[in-house]
Amino acid sequence: MSDLELEMHINGRAVKRRAAPHLRLLDFLRDDLNMTGTKEGCGAGECGTCSVFVDGKLVKSCLMPVGKANGARIETIEGLAPKGGDLTEVQRAFHKTGASQCGYCIPGMVMAATSALRENPDAGIEEIKERLGGNICRCTGYTKIFEAVEIARDVIAGRLSAAALEPDPAGNSFIGNNVRRLDAPSKVSGRLRYAGDMVMPDMLHMQVLRSPHPHARIRVIDVSAAHALPGVACVITAADVPGEDGFGVFVHDQPIMARGIVRYVGEAVAAVAAEDVLTAKEALRLIKVEYDELPAVFDPEDAMKIGAPVLHDYAPTNITKHIPIRKGDVEQGFAEADLIVEDYYETQQVEHAYLEPEAGLAYVDHDDVVTVISPSQNITHHRHMLAKIIDKPINKVRFIMSPVGGGFGGKEDMIYQGMLALAAMKSGRPVRLVYTREESIISTAKRHPARITYKMGLKNDGRITAVEFKMISDGGAYGMSTEGVMRKAAILACGPYDIPNVKIDTIGVYTNNTPSGAFRTFGAMQAQFATESHLDICAEKLGLDPFEIRRRNMMQDGAITHTQQTLGKVSIGTVLDAAETASHWEAGAPGRGESRSDLGGEGTRAPCTLGARFAPAVAKVKKEVA
Amino acid sequence: MMQRKMRGRGVAASWYGIARTATIDRAGAWAELDDGGTGKIVTGVTEIGEGILTVLAQIAAEELGVRPEDITIGDNDTARSPEAAHAGATRQTYMIGNSVALACRDARTKLDAEIAKVWGVETETIRAFNGEIWSEGSNLRMSMEEAVDLCKKRGIVPVGSGAFTAHGTGLDPVNGTGSPWQAYVFGCQVAEVEVDTVTGEVQVLGIWAAHDVGRAINPRGVEGQIEGGVVQGLGQALMEDYQLDKGHTKTHGFAKYILPTSLDIPQINTTIIEDRDPKSPLGAKGIGEPALVPTAPAIMNAIYDAVGVRIKSLPATPEKILAALAERAMRTKGVAA
Repeated sequence: MSDLELEMHINGRAVKRRAAPHLRLLDFLRDDLNMTGTKEGCGAGECGTCSVFVDGKLVKSCLMPVGKANGARIETIEGLAPKGGDLTEVQRAFHKTGASQCGYCIPGMVMAATSALRENPDAGIEEIKERLGGNICRCTGYTKIFEAVEIARDVIAGRLSAAALEPDPAGNSFIGNNVRRLDAPSKVSGRLRYAGDMVMPDMLHMQVLRSPHPHARIRVIDVSAAHALPGVACVITAADVPGEDGFGVFVHDQPIMARGIVRYVGEAVAAVAAEDVLTAKEALRLIKVEYDELPAVFDPEDAMKIGAPVLHDYAPTNITKHIPIRKGDVEQGFAEADLIVEDYYETQQVEHAYLEPEAGLAYVDHDDVVTVISPSQNITHHRHMLAKIIDKPINKVRFIMSPVGGGFGGKEDMIYQGMLALAAMKSGRPVRLVYTREESIISTAKRHPARITYKMGLKNDGRITAVEFKMISDGGAYGMSTEGVMRKAAILACGPYDIPNVKIDTIGVYTNNTPSGAFRTFGAMQAQFATESHLDICAEKLGLDPFEIRRRNMMQDGAITHTQQTLGKVSIGTVLDAAETASHWEAGAPGRGESRSDLGGEGTRAPCTLGARFAPAVAKVKKEVA
Repeated sequence: MMQRKMRGRGVAASWYGIARTATIDRAGAWAELDDGGTGKIVTGVTEIGEGILTVLAQIAAEELGVRPEDITIGDNDTARSPEAAHAGATRQTYMIGNSVALACRDARTKLDAEIAKVWGVETETIRAFNGEIWSEGSNLRMSMEEAVDLCKKRGIVPVGSGAFTAHGTGLDPVNGTGSPWQAYVFGCQVAEVEVDTVTGEVQVLGIWAAHDVGRAINPRGVEGQIEGGVVQGLGQALMEDYQLDKGHTKTHGFAKYILPTSLDIPQINTTIIEDRDPKSPLGAKGIGEPALVPTAPAIMNAIYDAVGVRIKSLPATPEKILAALAERAMRTKGVAA
């Protein structure tokens, strides 16, 4: 198909270009015009990071074929504030309130907020929330964004002085002061370049072939046809690894690409670096992989049974790590209890869903230093591992952190940087890889799911005498952070309570599922979810207020923890008091619901009913019709 | 008789350790008082959106006697910056913040000594803030720009380095005994929910979050971390669910993997508690991860309070709530009969 002849007005300038017909408006802006302020978060119109104005209407540019935008007036984040000019009120308000964190969703969010206030300059908070409803933010919890849009609305309307957009005065210390984020102007204006926005001269594009099987032996990989395709610079497999292949946080059990065996669906098997993404994708289809499927195991308890398929030779029981904690004598503690409560809890696998999918750029520099630029949370460790993998001295491996568009633990593992380094070494050219959202979801680590059996003994006054806690977690196909997650879960499992007798076991298990890895709280939320649910069950049985049962058990200054560490000052009492006071909590046992007198007060929002803001208008129309 | 929409409240407490677990944690930083009275910090810090660069600029400004906007931070590059290790474990403010403070103090020691000599005063009398330097108890004062220039003309470049260590110990492999962290934080959240007993939907209307952070370097940034953590906790509590079928992902996009959006957000009421850490120069601890620990159980406890059903398997989807309500109705009927 021949190129399209396109003419449009972008940010007030006439643009006349030829473009490939398969491009989306998003690709045209980013790749052809190098306007990378507009980000790609999902490619499916579900996240809003690619929002732009087309003829004045807010549009998700990943859903619009570029041909459809022909003749249109386009406005992007780069066009909101002219180069060198002041940021708009919306952008300045985002800066003021701290509405940008990682910043990746922010250009789209600023466009959506701008649209909301253009559509209705007097929009109330409910309408603003609805109008932002197509834009996902994973960092901020939206609260500072709402605040920013309301401030901007009032400044634009003249109800609030523009001074509201200025920084707070410094006072006599910069510590404890709400200094505005130094990186916010680059984020609210779309100027900040993430790894997927970066280009280098002569750069190649990488695509990755992934396993369709949860567990299989690779009989043969034939890359010859892929390699022969014009435009392909190199194809890499595990055979290209010159050193000791293996990465991971606690155990180096994961090869850069599958080595003889695939252990989960989505595992990298081979990668192509080519002149453009389409050629690289075409080359993937020419790689022939013959698999012998192996029995697979998907349930962590099945995986621990004798005769279950074994994932890694070093772990014949499939147990990645078992952390035991013992203090006192639980049998004695249960014997002393007036009440024993047993229960079972489960938590699910959770996706990090940072808005910036994985991306990176690698090259070999003039001094033969293999250099990888990526939004990694742990490049110091990556450098150690990659040096071994590519068999180079450590000062010949360099990692540069690019702006991280959200991490939450999900960017701690070196899951793709090794492939980039190998391709840059093999081709001698810079190589870039940008994951699609689907690729990011199916192939990267998740929060460990947990199955927790809980037994607690208490006296009638609510004092806990003993806890027996066992957690089994599906770590998936590779070790990643499982050992550390099991350790943190175990240490913190029984909460900030002084319990004389505890028996805690956390067990991480290999299965052929998507690996589990580091995720904000590193096992602590799964374990404490069980403890805090269980305490409320016990409180109700004993007729105790939930704050009261926690106070009767909380650690005091100088407490001895479950791992028998002696603490200094302990702030849990202060914290409980603060939450109770702030929420105007009415004391009583759980299960009171609507009979409480502390509901619906200040500190709560109104419940949301979709379309509620249209209700008065609809009612009015009905009335007029009548 | 149950109304259609039922409200309730729940509470959950939490605790968390700061910096790497059951090991020695470390971080390093370099500082220079630069021309024009500016400050240059180089450290292997990783901004992942939490605002650590701004926090470090505040700390450096305070320690160097300049303004946050005068600070330039050279961040993570393994060939250019000293090791400060990873972005995780709620460690960056604690580990890198203290390293930067110590590096700045080291640089200031060199500058202050020269300025004291010029003024003929004791070094201990030298103070600096907001771009100005002076000798306490005198009218001797100049700009930091002049001070740096003077210092350099005397042949001294005011540079410093700093490293901070947190001393955790490993756990005994048999009984788990050990001191995994030197600093702990504590938190508590109250949730108020409304449960629609016809659709099974849960709306979280309010969260009151009280967290000890040691010392809030940037209170608004701390709020941002708590708000973000609460909403991630809410997502896990009510909707997020990565599903597999024999190893194949069933939730491979945001149409299937449901995330909280602007319409799901409770009013979040934050109370910051500052119980300073006695084992570090700044007294700050951290907030990144602890913020979301109590959210899901607080919401589950609130659902129970509202409608008397306890969801023990996350997430509490409308389907699970309705099934639990139906089961409860059967049970109640059975008792009545």
